[in-house]
Amino acid sequence: MELEELKQTWKETTITKNKNTDIMDLMKQKSYGPIAALKREFRKQITVMALLPLFLLFTTIDDISQIFNNVLFWSYVAFCAGMVIFGSANYRIVKKMGTMDGMVRYNLEQQIGLLETRLKWKLIALRIVLLFFVVLVEVVPYFQHYRMLDKWHSLSPLIRFGSYAAFFVLQYFLSRIVSERKFGGHIKYLKALVSEMR
Amino acid sequence: MQKQEAEKEFEQHIKENELLIYKVCRMYAHTSADRKDLFQEIVIQLWNAYPKFRGESKFSTWLYRVALNTAITGLRKKKDFIESREPSQLPERIGEENAGREEELLQLYKAIGQLSEIEKAIVMLYMEDRSYEEMEEILGMSQVNLRVKMNRIKEKLRQLTKNN
Repeated sequence: MELEELKQTWKETTITKNKNTDIMDLMKQKSYGPIAALKREFRKQITVMALLPLFLLFTTIDDISQIFNNVLFWSYVAFCAGMVIFGSANYRIVKKMGTMDGMVRYNLEQQIGLLETRLKWKLIALRIVLLFFVVLVEVVPYFQHYRMLDKWHSLSPLIRFGSYAAFFVLQYFLSRIVSERKFGGHIKYLKALVSEMR
Repeated sequence: MQKQEAEKEFEQHIKENELLIYKVCRMYAHTSADRKDLFQEIVIQLWNAYPKFRGESKFSTWLYRVALNTAITGLRKKKDFIESREPSQLPERIGEENAGREEELLQLYKAIGQLSEIEKAIVMLYMEDRSYEEMEEILGMSQVNLRVKMNRIKEKLRQLTKNN
């Protein structure tokens, strides 16, 4: 059978529609698509990260002056603030990805660009977080003493910095593998569709 | 415009073009549950994009863009949405046509199921009798490219229906 013959049948097709389809009701439903799921994930991340320092303050309300002098607390606040900024940037990118009314090809190209930008920033942010913790571990003992950190500092600098370097190398490869597994396939799929349209 | 008015207007537009959405769903989702999910997702995306619709293109053109974008980009995320199926997994009865040449039609639908997501979109618009100009507006592909693709798809479908 040729496509031309199907054309007529296709146009005459009367699909059995669900008579109870309530458009108004559907409009008010939550989207369960991948973009909506990502948006929900980032909203949750932003809220949790914004509330965590407050929660910590609340649990130490009896000794509030002491916590304000604690280097680790302020490092923690800085970390949470960084995560909120990162989460908001991600949220904005994903929101842009939710625009679905452009031409299919341009929409796909936009999605590829945004996904690649998001991946790039994710890797950069991860490295910044790791660097932040290394600096923290190295600097905190000059201001406050913690048994674990003192033990770590009793090791020779060669071992310490060698471990940090190994950690960075491991992170580099691991994050690439994870990103490839999580988004690599999807980006390849989108790129294949775009190249098919050229 | 008041929100309620906009809702009513949108509902009216959707009701007038409901069949188009069903056809996209049938092309991209192969079980009734998947079609229902895709239909809902498309309506939500249309409603989200509706405030930006300024009537610069026909409503049906705009609707096709949103519906195809949703179907094509939504199919991949298995956990969160619909899982794309291999042609061998297609149900025996794909449509609810007034069957006469059902077996032949089924062969052709199976062959269409083996096309890529973009080819499916082109075939669907072609069968809907959309002009190449409108197809260009929806897909963002040049008319020359679309014509070449359409000829290749026809040949591919001929081969596929022969082999099946």
